[in-house]
Amino acid sequence: MNASRRDFLKVGAGAVAAISGVSANSEEVSSVTVSGERTAAPAGEAPDMIYRKFGSTGEHISAIGVGGHHLGDLPTLDAAVQLVHEAIDAGVTFFDNAWEYYNGKTETILGRALRDGRRDKVFLMTKVCTHGRSGKLAMQMLEDSLRRYQTDHLDLWQIHGIVYDNDPELAYAKGGVLEAFDQAKKEGKVRFVGFTGHKDPAFHLKMLELGYPFDSVQIPLNPFDANYHSFEKQVLPEVNRRGMAALGMKSMGGTAWGIKAGVVNAEELLRYAMSLPVATTICGMDSLDVLHQNLRVVRGFQPMTQNEMEALRARCAPTAADGRFEPYKVSLRYDNPMTRMPHGFPFDHTQREVTEMLDKADGPWLVPETTPETSGR
Amino acid sequence: MADQRRQNEQSQATPEIERRFFIETGLASAGTVLAASVLRSQVASAALPQQMTTTGADQIPHRPLGKTGEQVSIIGLGGYHLGTVQSRELAVRLVQEAVDAGVTFLDNAWEYNDHRSEEWMGLGLQGRRDKVFLMSKVCTHGRDKKVAMQQLEESLKRLGTDHLDLWQIHEVIYENDPDLHFAKGGVVEALDEAKKQGKVRLVGFTGHKSPAIHLKMLAHDYPFDTVQMPLNCFDATYRSFEQQVLPELQRRGIAVLGMKSLGGDGQPILYGVVRAEEALRYAMSLPVATTICGIDSLDVLHQNVEIARGFKPMSSQEMQALRERCRPSSGDGHLELFKTTKKYDGRVGREQHGYPPPEQLPL
Repeated sequence: MNASRRDFLKVGAGAVAAISGVSANSEEVSSVTVSGERTAAPAGEAPDMIYRKFGSTGEHISAIGVGGHHLGDLPTLDAAVQLVHEAIDAGVTFFDNAWEYYNGKTETILGRALRDGRRDKVFLMTKVCTHGRSGKLAMQMLEDSLRRYQTDHLDLWQIHGIVYDNDPELAYAKGGVLEAFDQAKKEGKVRFVGFTGHKDPAFHLKMLELGYPFDSVQIPLNPFDANYHSFEKQVLPEVNRRGMAALGMKSMGGTAWGIKAGVVNAEELLRYAMSLPVATTICGMDSLDVLHQNLRVVRGFQPMTQNEMEALRARCAPTAADGRFEPYKVSLRYDNPMTRMPHGFPFDHTQREVTEMLDKADGPWLVPETTPETSGR
Repeated sequence: MADQRRQNEQSQATPEIERRFFIETGLASAGTVLAASVLRSQVASAALPQQMTTTGADQIPHRPLGKTGEQVSIIGLGGYHLGTVQSRELAVRLVQEAVDAGVTFLDNAWEYNDHRSEEWMGLGLQGRRDKVFLMSKVCTHGRDKKVAMQQLEESLKRLGTDHLDLWQIHEVIYENDPDLHFAKGGVVEALDEAKKQGKVRLVGFTGHKSPAIHLKMLAHDYPFDTVQMPLNCFDATYRSFEQQVLPELQRRGIAVLGMKSLGGDGQPILYGVVRAEEALRYAMSLPVATTICGIDSLDVLHQNVEIARGFKPMSSQEMQALRERCRPSSGDGHLELFKTTKKYDGRVGREQHGYPPPEQLPL
């Protein structure tokens, strides 16, 4: 995973640099829904940044967000902290993360970067990683996250990785993670809640149908997705219909294999994702260069026209048809080791996250495996 | 505990070791439970649409191959595993002993083990070709008819024969495969031509990924004689070929060839969810013509032959009970990695579809 994520960023950065002068003369799209609605920069926030409504909560967030996993890919803690600081100075408010990324390291990094007064400038998210286990375990994970973040509350807490067929059923089971959502909100430890996943629109729809009042839903969005088991077609309209905030991710297809193959370039992919009706697009960034490139795209951003978007989808259709540029849908590659473990899926020993995890004999992955009452697992 | 986990995980990451491990484990559990389950299976057996012909207690029963008029043995020798054994001599002996024991259905594919599977099977069949129903698979993975016909010649040469009894399109597992196969100049035209030339008698297709893709192939209404797919007690409640594809094949009179009766790699047996023998009996009790078994040692061959000779189908109640028992652990697909990961997707197909090779994308 590391290798490919890093590869993508190199390619991504290069491709953006190569074409950054060419874009941004398109017209404004007319149809904008709740999640995509642009708002004025709130007092005290950067005038260059674009802000959008966070669903129907009354909150607003920056139109790009800093992805948490890649914070673990920077060479040093100082480099990661500097990236977070520069992002905040540029007006980025949305910060993504998960309890399980790099065995907790990326939450610790973000916590270090946010102390000294920056906590209040951001909309801080992390994800809970029960993967079918109990609400009690979820609350333990929440305490871990708060401690690593050096804060007393999260702005957003999401269920991480709804990626296996029975995940919705397990999340809704008695004693499951949704009960922890209720409790954490009541205790004032989290303000909003949501869920994430990269595998199959059907799992997301099941989560929505079962009816919990989520504030946000995080999904992969890119022009390959638009042609193949599509979150854009199947899930995005439903999320917006319900007034929830849509959070886009994997705008480059996760791996950027589509860029390497010469089908698309990084800037048009980011523009495509940002042109959809979403509250933010979460970007993995493992160098200041990539951050700067992304900020440049945001500053010059004009939404693509419907025609431009349709043309891009059509260009991607032939190679989208077998899923080759969306490995998160068709392989385990993007299922973190601690996502796989409670479900009994095998690890991939070529991934750094796996070897680091196994090297920690008493690492956080050895949490007690408690199970919801009715899960049947 | 960490060590133990690590060991488990490492075995999962190494297909060959894992497959062998399964077979050995499977073998042991089959041996210990055989007597008990034979007693249990005295209950009334399910009425099978496919009647079984038994010519004696020491013979492997046969079943009709759809509406083709052919009969095949109720277990088949899988070609993939044949090419994984440690020596050519052992592979040859496995083929010879299987045929002599009454196994008539032989599976293979042009691409298995860099063609070693076909070569070794061909050697084993010298002097026995006429006793078997010989299948191989064509591996165009979207390429044209010309590639298919070239592969057919190579398969015939390696298998040491002038015709195949069955030629199947291999590994229909990518969503656009049906479109590519039925495109003008595609592999389906090669099936027609090979039949016309007398080089193959019957045709079909195979795949392990998704019932929807199989149904998309069938929707073209091409007169396939056979369809091969995973059938096991986990599949029955998870993205199910048994529920979605099997009835359609029965309706069309197409012969069903079952595979992956133990979940592909035997993990369910290692986890203790099922015993090898009941998993195999479940698969064989479905309305299939044959169940193709991965066999990579003489011990495993003997065990499978023994199960086949004494085979009494499970009753529908027994089958339902097993499905229910497996349902909780089937729900996320971790016992059927061929559906949920890249692990079973072959190198040639990945190349044609622009995917990284197994070393770079193992799962």
